[in-house]
Amino acid sequence: MDLLLALIIFAGLYMAWNIGANDAANSMATSYGSGALTLKQIVVIGSLLEFCGAVFFGKNVTHTIAKGIVPIDTLDYHLVVIGALAALLSAGFWITLATYYQLPISTSHSIVGAMLGFGLAAVSQGYLDLSDIHWNVMTKIVLSWIISPIFGAILAFFIFTLIRLLILEKYDIYRVERIFKYLQVGTACYVAFAHGSNDVANATGPIAAALGFMGQQMPPWILFIGGLGISVGIATWGYRVIEMVGKRITELTPTRGFSAEFSTATTVLIASYFGMPISTTHTLVGSVIGVGLAGGLASVNLKIIKKIITSWLLTVPVAAALAIALYTVMVIFL
Amino acid sequence: MKFVRSVSEVFGYSPFGALRRHAELCGKAIGLLQKQFEAYRRGEFDKVERLREEIDELEYKADMIKEEIRTNLTKSLLLPVDRHDLLHFLEVQDGIINYCEHVGHMVTFRRVKAPEKIWRELDILLAKIMETVNKYEELVDHISRLVASSFTRKEVEDAMMHVKEVEQLEHECDLVQIGLYTLLFNAEGMDPLDVHLMVEWVSHLGEIANYTARAADRFRTMVLGRG
Repeated sequence: MDLLLALIIFAGLYMAWNIGANDAANSMATSYGSGALTLKQIVVIGSLLEFCGAVFFGKNVTHTIAKGIVPIDTLDYHLVVIGALAALLSAGFWITLATYYQLPISTSHSIVGAMLGFGLAAVSQGYLDLSDIHWNVMTKIVLSWIISPIFGAILAFFIFTLIRLLILEKYDIYRVERIFKYLQVGTACYVAFAHGSNDVANATGPIAAALGFMGQQMPPWILFIGGLGISVGIATWGYRVIEMVGKRITELTPTRGFSAEFSTATTVLIASYFGMPISTTHTLVGSVIGVGLAGGLASVNLKIIKKIITSWLLTVPVAAALAIALYTVMVIFL
Repeated sequence: MKFVRSVSEVFGYSPFGALRRHAELCGKAIGLLQKQFEAYRRGEFDKVERLREEIDELEYKADMIKEEIRTNLTKSLLLPVDRHDLLHFLEVQDGIINYCEHVGHMVTFRRVKAPEKIWRELDILLAKIMETVNKYEELVDHISRLVASSFTRKEVEDAMMHVKEVEQLEHECDLVQIGLYTLLFNAEGMDPLDVHLMVEWVSHLGEIANYTARAADRFRTMVLGRG
């Protein structure tokens, strides 16, 4: 049993590392692209605030992942540990594969799909009834996936339109951009904090479930581990992603970056408050499209919407199927 | 680099830099055309031929840019201006350099003899067209500020002033052109074939100015017709 727990923590750390290396990096890259922060500053700020967001605000979403979908209290402890491990491994595997093929998938969707897969496997073995799975929560989560990018887009549209009407109409554009560079330091922190608060759960949710603390108070060290994993991910691989993505998105000048970041962070933080595990990256894409709709960008490629929807439709079933397979095998052998 | 999932794909192809480059080529072509006429007057026909080739090359480069824009400007792009307006604008702007090429060729057809007065007037026309196209290039340069400010009222007004200036210059070209026609059709003792070719030059030079003004007008439609 101790071995299994160690494996879970290890798999959770891998997940957290992935989140830091790619997702956190993507959300932070906007501040690098506009030149608001240097790479070093971003890595420091990013690691620090992702960690803070995870530790201080990561509880609600962790709770949802741990026991919001599968009613783990009614299951045998041993099964929960195996299920959590299967979920983490399959989500981790899918993310690794998708990252290799550069698909814009979401870690949140992967872990939700994987946890659902664990629940369905338990149903197939007669430990649970199909109606025991919290379908209402699942519906809410899926709705939040649809709403969050749209909400980000609407918010970004309004924020950029306000900037345009109230500031750009009156002052010299280059002076405004210089001032917004400083403001963007603030939104960069905001994004990092919000991202940490939401995405840490993708790593810590299954750990919390496996450790069975969810009924009582969850010990803060679980979130601590998750936050640490994300920070390490940013520092060891994320900086390269930040540099690469940042160089490609120089179009996002400080005023545009501010609008997109502020909208993304706000949307994500609201989701964290409600315990909804959403995709920060998809919300960011929605926000960028919002700035584009407000006439703020030279060109936005709407093809990405199709790609994101495809990744939704693919991620949940694939992660679930993988988790079902892994769980079934592990139940036999462990 | 492998092992990266990125959001950068959300940023699409931007045609505005390419539009400016295309306009710059138009300006360069008309500059070469002016040099070509100078060489013609001095009787340096080798140089005339060389400049024709250079203009051809510029036209080819412009065609490449046009093709690049047309290939990349797919329907899935969200642009701050209407896609069709932009493509129409490009089409007309391309006419400027096309006519430069036409004239560049026509200069090599025949060695004409004409009175000094006509040559001087032709120089004036060329200078006027040069001025028009230069002004036009400045107009297209507005595009980066327009995009950067996301088309604020002040920037749009500045650009619109510029359109009017281009149109005014085109009108001045017209006047010089009319004067030249009158001179040519009343040039006693000139070889009718020479008159015919020079009239063709003047008409085609006029088309350069016309296309410049029309492109400026298209630019206005594109900028004002947003949303």
